[in-house]
Parts: sequence; C-alpha cells; structure tokens
Amino acid sequence: MQISEFILSPLLALIIGIFFLGLARKIMARIHWRYGPPITQPVIDIIRMFSQKAISHGSIFNFGLIFSLTGSIVVILFLPIGKMCPLSSGGLLVILYLMLLAPLGIALSSGEAANPNSSIGVSRKFLLALGYEVPFLLILLAVMAHYHTISLIEIVRIQANTGWSFGSLPLVLSGIAYFLILPAILGMRPFEISGAAQEISSGPKVEFGGKFLAFSTIQHALHEFIGISLFVNLFLGGWDLFGILEPISNTIWGIILGIIIFLIKMVIIFIIELFINAVFPRFRIEQAMKYLWKWPTLLSFIGLLIVVLFN
Amino acid sequence: MASIIHKGNSKMTDLKQMLLSGFDDININIPEDNRMVVSTKKESVLSILIYLKKFGYNHFALVSCNDWIDDNEFELIYIVSAYQKNDEQYQDIEKSSIIVKTRISREKAKFITIIDIFENAEPYEREIHEMFGINFEGHPRLTPLMLERNYKIPPFRKDFDTNKYVENTFGKIPSIKERKEGNK
Amino acid sequence: MDRNKISKWLKNPGKMAHKYSFHVVYFCTGCGIIEIPPSITARWDAERFGIIPVATPRQANLFLITGYVSTKTLKAIIRTYEQMPDPKYTVALGSCPINGGMYYDSYNTITSLDKYIPVDGYIAGCMPRPEAIFIGVTHLWKLIDMDKADGYKRYREDYVHYRANQEQLFGELEWPPLFIKEIVK
Repeated sequence: MQISEFILSPLLALIIGIFFLGLARKIMARIHWRYGPPITQPVIDIIRMFSQKAISHGSIFNFGLIFSLTGSIVVILFLPIGKMCPLSSGGLLVILYLMLLAPLGIALSSGEAANPNSSIGVSRKFLLALGYEVPFLLILLAVMAHYHTISLIEIVRIQANTGWSFGSLPLVLSGIAYFLILPAILGMRPFEISGAAQEISSGPKVEFGGKFLAFSTIQHALHEFIGISLFVNLFLGGWDLFGILEPISNTIWGIILGIIIFLIKMVIIFIIELFINAVFPRFRIEQAMKYLWKWPTLLSFIGLLIVVLFN
Repeated sequence: MASIIHKGNSKMTDLKQMLLSGFDDININIPEDNRMVVSTKKESVLSILIYLKKFGYNHFALVSCNDWIDDNEFELIYIVSAYQKNDEQYQDIEKSSIIVKTRISREKAKFITIIDIFENAEPYEREIHEMFGINFEGHPRLTPLMLERNYKIPPFRKDFDTNKYVENTFGKIPSIKERKEGNK
Repeated sequence: MDRNKISKWLKNPGKMAHKYSFHVVYFCTGCGIIEIPPSITARWDAERFGIIPVATPRQANLFLITGYVSTKTLKAIIRTYEQMPDPKYTVALGSCPINGGMYYDSYNTITSLDKYIPVDGYIAGCMPRPEAIFIGVTHLWKLIDMDKADGYKRYREDYVHYRANQEQLFGELEWPPLFIKEIVK
C-alpha cells in the first residue's frame, strides 16, 4: 500500500496537471469563439519536444531543471490527493519550504543560459514569489492556529467532521485572501509576469528547447496542480462532500470516490481561474507587488487576528 | 512676425509679395489654395527657410531629391508647413504648405545641411546621402541608414542599372544542385 | 487528419507528433506578415491544427518566411534558422522567395531563397490567404509522412555549399561555420 501510493500519487498529479494544460487551451479558445486544439494537445507537444535535439549550455543548465522538477514532485508526495498521502510528517511547514525549490531550480538554469531576457524573467519571478509569500504565510498561520495542528491530513479530517473551512466564520477572510492570490501562485493572468511571451520572449524559458522545454512544461503543470490542490485541501474540505462518504470511508470504493470528488473540486476552481485569465491583461511587476501587499495581506492579517481572538 | 498672418487666401498672396520683394532670382507660383511652390538658386535656400520659419512655417515635413540626368543636375525639394499657431490649432482649411526647390550640380554633389534651422532633417539627409550620394556639409552623422552593403554607384541614381546589378550579384550565385554537380 | 489513429501513433510517435504540433517562430518580416494574425485568431483558427506562435527559435520547429527577403534580413534569417533544434521545417510564402517576385530587379532583395537556407515548400500567392496557408500545412503533413521534408538533413549534409553561397553574397560572415567537421579546406 505504501509503495503504491509513492508511485500513484505523482503519476496521478502528472496526468491531472497535463489534462489541466489542455483544458486551459480548449476553454480559452471557446471563450474566444473559436474551436481550439484537442484536449490531448499538451501530450502531442511533449512528445514532439522530446524528439527534438536541443543544445545544452552546461551542466548547471541541466541540473537546475532537474532540481526544480524534483522539488515539485517531492511537494506532491506531501499533499493529500483525496485520502492518499504518502508522506505526512512535517505537513504544512515542509510544504512551505519545499515550494520554493522550483523557482530556485529554474533560476539556476536561466543563469547559465546567459540571455538577458531570462535574467529579467527570473528576477521578476522571484519578486512575484516575494509578493505572494507574505499573505500566503499569514493565511497558513491562521489555518494552523485555528486547527491547532500542522498536519494537512488532520486538517482535512477535522473538516470532514465540522464542515468546510471556507464556511466557518473565523476562516472566511483567509479563504478570500487565498483566492485573491491564487492567480499569482499559478502564474495565470493578471500575474503571468515571468512567462510573458511578448514582453521578455518567454522569460526563463527562452533558451529551453527539446527535452528541456518538455521538462519545463511538466514542471509548470505540477506547480499548477500544487497550488490548486492546496486550496482545495485547506479550505474546501479535500475529499469530503458534506459527509456522504461516511459509511464507505475505509473501503477501496471510498478511496476512489474521494479522489474523484477531490478532482471535481479542483476542476471547478481551475475553470473559475481560467475565466479570470481570459479577461485580464498582464500586470507590471510593480503593480503586482503593490496589489499583493495591500488587499490580500490586509485581509489575511485581519483573518489571523480574528482567529487568535476567537480562541 | 506671426501676427502678420491673415486667415484665408490673402495670406499666401501677401507672403508671395514679401518674398518677391525680399529675394532676387526667385520664382513663385500658387497652384491651388494653401500650396505654394518656390524655386530659387541654391545660395538662397537657407535664408528663405529661416524667413519662412520666422513667418510661422515651423514644421519641417521632408527633404527629397530628384535626379535630372539630362540636365546633369540634382534637384533638392524642401517641404515646410504651418499647422500650429500659438497653441491654437489651425483648422483644416487654413493648413498650408510651401515647397522650396533648388538645383545643384551632379558632378560635385554637395550641399549644406539645414539641421541648424530644422533639427529633424537629420535622417532625411542621411537617406539622401546614402541613396544619391549627395554630401551634406556640417551633418554630424552621415553613416548608412538602411542599406547593408556599399554600391559603386548610389542606387537611386538614374545611371544605376538594376537589372545588370541583379544579374551580377544575385544571378551569379549557383544553386546548391549546381554546386554539387560542379564539385563532382 | 489522422490525428486519432492510434496505430499510427504507436508505430512512429515522433513523426506524428511533429505533424500535429507546429510551433512557429514569430519572425515577422516582409509583406506577408499581414496574413499571419488573421490565421491565428478567431476567424481562421490555426490552433485547432496545433499551430501556435512562440517567441524564440529555440522552442520552435516551423519557420515561416513571409514575403520578400532583403539582404539585411537574410543575415537574421540564417542566424535564426541555425538556432532552431533539429528536426525543423521551412515554408516560404509568396512569390518573392521563389524567383524574386515583384522585386525581381531590386538592388536589395535576393531572388531565390533556396540557395541560402533549405526550403521544404512554397505557398504561391502575393500574399496567400489564410485558406491557402492551411492547405500548405496539409501538404507539409503529407511530405512529413513520406519522409520528403528533409530540409534540415540537406543543410547538414551540404553545409559546405550553403556556406559558400552565403559567403559569396555577404563577403566575410561574422559567425563561424556551424558544422565544422564537414568543412574540409
């Protein structure tokens, strides 16, 4: 059971992440009143990228990309997908640290690429991470203080008994603050700053070709998966849907249905994010920082105060 | 000086009278409303442009060149226009432009730059130097603007044979198949 | 389109993936670039074939040369083409890359693009409409199926001759030869 979870969890995250990439292109096309590529288009793209012979700029160029991909896969091992969670010690604190391995790896690669566009893209990526880390930390502190635990599995189990966090009074403001910074974590418009194709020639990905681009696409898909699944686990109850899984909760059917309910919640949140992505233009980095340190920080700070005073 | 401008067609005729009395060896005709063509000798061009600029024609549109190969002369054409007056815009019916033409010799193709009067003539003169070979004295930067290579005769002159140039440069390069067969 | 035939995918996934995922270098030059934005936006949607423009040549595998090529642009085209990873395809739009087109007697534009970089196919017109561009893409699929779209292989084998042509046009080139082993002095 344990070994199968170690293999199944990242594999499921990979499949769902790539499905989200295809779903994004299809839904954006339909919003633009055109047909759009098939939903399996990212699979075709990745197969094509692996069959191209790209050049490498050095050993740190190769290492940085593998480093960021490994960081993303390790974070997925700590996230509960439905009821599956291979590693559970450390919980939210470990996730908070390991989420910064991915931008660090990409920064190593782009530094070796020696292209000014990639340096600009990486500096903007780190500034954006600095921007959303402040409200992110306050939100996680509020959640951890409310439930008196740092383990994500515990948080999901308590929500199964007492209802979703988003609906409980002390954590509403934190939930709204997390929804406001979710585009910045995912890298979707209006915060699609580091991967901007028209302004800085795709930022850090400017020198990636062939297999490097394939790994970068996979890493982007996994990063999106992490951002949305954290939201669903912390605020929307994880695998639980108002307690209808109580009678079969320990059987194999319970686990499978739990995963399906989890994925349906993720798809709904992702489609809402796509609607925001379709309408907004891109912010500049100083506008993004000004926004991220104003309203979401204020809301999450007030949420933290409410949680502390409530107890 | 700008207060002398009257509105309407009388402005052009007033200006014509003033120019005819101020300069000699000058030829003016007004083909339609708000257009005037002034042909002079090349020594008076600078003073006429300064006079027109003080008169209110302070927008420099372009300088261009014609190659009269039969007369053995180049013709330089300056177009200035007036469409702004003391932060009030002229209406369309009052916009007017003046064309100033001179001829310079074709063998010794050189002239003086008008950058000191109108600063935005710099790229136009650079293009004329590159395409016709006219040297503008006093120009700070007569480097190539658009062309990538040097030509023996500047390409816009009428004795530059384009078909012969294309045959000698691009036509002489063999295709890849011909090169491979030539090697064997 | 045979995008849904699973047996073909299992036989040669690389070739099928190359057909249905063309990433185009957004190298906008010449008069034909006016026909590219209508092809990739909502009216004549090119994304349903998998065609999408990317910002850098390192991520691309299709090079569209739209219109006439002046000598200054040819230097940039050669450098961009050499940066793309193998396998790559080149398609020339319009009649100017074929024989000089409307500018056959210009002092500045080349008369035949195939002498400098390998071209897989031409789409005739001045400029070809988006429907013609899509028909050209389907012809390119057929060529890839028959293994005839081998411009990149020809560049690798005959690089000596391509380089000789480029040097005959430009004189000294600022970048060193790409495949050094094949140059035998």
